[in-house]
Amino acid sequence: MSNKKFMCILRSASGGCEKPSPADMEKMYAKYQAWQDKFADNILDMGGALSGEGAVVSSENVKDGPFIELKEIIGGYMLLAASDLQEAISVIQASPMVENAGTSLELREITTP
Amino acid sequence: MKQKIEHVFRHEYGFLVASLVSRFGLQQLESIEDAIQWAMTQAITTWSKDKHPDNPQAWLYQVAARHLLSELTSAKRRHQLASQIELPPNADSDIPFTGELSDSFLRMLFIASDPAIPAESQLVFVLKSLCGFSTPEIAHRLFISEANVYKRFHRAKAILKRNNQLLDSLTDAIVAERLPAIHDVLYLIFTEGYLSSHQDHGVRKELCEESLRLTQILITSDLGKTPEGHALMALILFHLARLDARQDNLGLVLLEHQDRKKWDKQQIQLAFYYLQTSASGEKLSRYHIEASIAAEHCLADSFAETRWDKIAQAYALLLKVNSSPVHMLGQAIAVAEWQSPSAALAMLASADMPAWLTRSYHWYAVLADLQIRCEQPQAAEENREKALNLAPTNHIRKLLEKRLQI
Repeated sequence: MSNKKFMCILRSASGGCEKPSPADMEKMYAKYQAWQDKFADNILDMGGALSGEGAVVSSENVKDGPFIELKEIIGGYMLLAASDLQEAISVIQASPMVENAGTSLELREITTP
Repeated sequence: MKQKIEHVFRHEYGFLVASLVSRFGLQQLESIEDAIQWAMTQAITTWSKDKHPDNPQAWLYQVAARHLLSELTSAKRRHQLASQIELPPNADSDIPFTGELSDSFLRMLFIASDPAIPAESQLVFVLKSLCGFSTPEIAHRLFISEANVYKRFHRAKAILKRNNQLLDSLTDAIVAERLPAIHDVLYLIFTEGYLSSHQDHGVRKELCEESLRLTQILITSDLGKTPEGHALMALILFHLARLDARQDNLGLVLLEHQDRKKWDKQQIQLAFYYLQTSASGEKLSRYHIEASIAAEHCLADSFAETRWDKIAQAYALLLKVNSSPVHMLGQAIAVAEWQSPSAALAMLASADMPAWLTRSYHWYAVLADLQIRCEQPQAAEENREKALNLAPTNHIRKLLEKRLQI
């Protein structure tokens, strides 16, 4: 009954923390594969990472963006399908993404009229 | 497919660093490392069963190169580094051929073996930039602090950045001069794993296999297929074949008690192949001799059947080529088996040993062992105590207690 769609927005603290080594990445990769296998029905679109380059457009002007001075930057997004918010939460809680320190994931239902 | 991917991150890291360095220059090393990391992070989330690239190496290269280029371009635009950055003229994201990748990798090995860089810094640089180990991983493997790893790495990097001009000019003279240093660093990676007193067998084996992998790349190249390189390969394989048998649930196992059926016969066979191909040059290197000693052990069906005379003679030859007192200890151990423990003791008594060796547990352990066998219990007891006190880990202390029973 995965009839609702959710947008998952990934935020990471900018800078800091020790970078993962290729060996860490290999472990990470295995975890992602396992997670994607397990929740194949829920993951509609793995989305992608958002580049550090962009612009912020408003009626007054166009500014270089995003605002890198913010403590948290939106790093990526993905689309999920779930029967309710609770299910979407459990999919994300089981994901390797929540293991990263300084990362938070925001879940919002996509409403269509 | 999954198996192919298993080590793609670790094994491609060095190739990617090397080929991006040859394209963008050593000055950009930090940005290059960041870009590769970015590409790998992308791979983790976007590679899935149905969306898996046919050529993961090319995929990573392309994503990293594009990211690097856009980072450098925007840095340039921000005028932060305007004067420093020269973008390569055809810096599009063309995928290099596999041959080019291994060429860059080799060139990077030669560059890292700059004689101006101390050996311990070369070691850390190769482990970090070409093997892709992180600072904590290297600290953990080499038993040094992270600050020390950092210092050694930056020392190497600073020297390399100063000597940047070498990138395009690998002359025959430089190749000939630096090959021995490359062999030494590859062997050092191996011995760091093999002789390490690290509790974790997996951690030790990983370094050994990394050294095998790099040596393989070196000796299959035109620059590196030398007799000495083949001898090193043989030596590494002879040791690696016996690595698993050196360890059981209780800890390290002495050669005497190892189950020789557990030795990897395929690796031993391969080692003999390389030893054979190594026997073509004019020069007899330490690796030739050390490989032939290891080969003797592999040929023997049991400890008792080992041809100790050959081994003792090989050590004598080794001492002429590479006069390290550690080899003299090896020689003494072989002489004790071949002739007698008292002959070995006499040899050590007359030898001029440097202070660093006579402060190590190896020295006292060998002395104590020989004295036990010569029935000199008092002297043996004293040296046994010293050896136990100097043992770097519990692991080794246990092994010594097992071996040195008076």
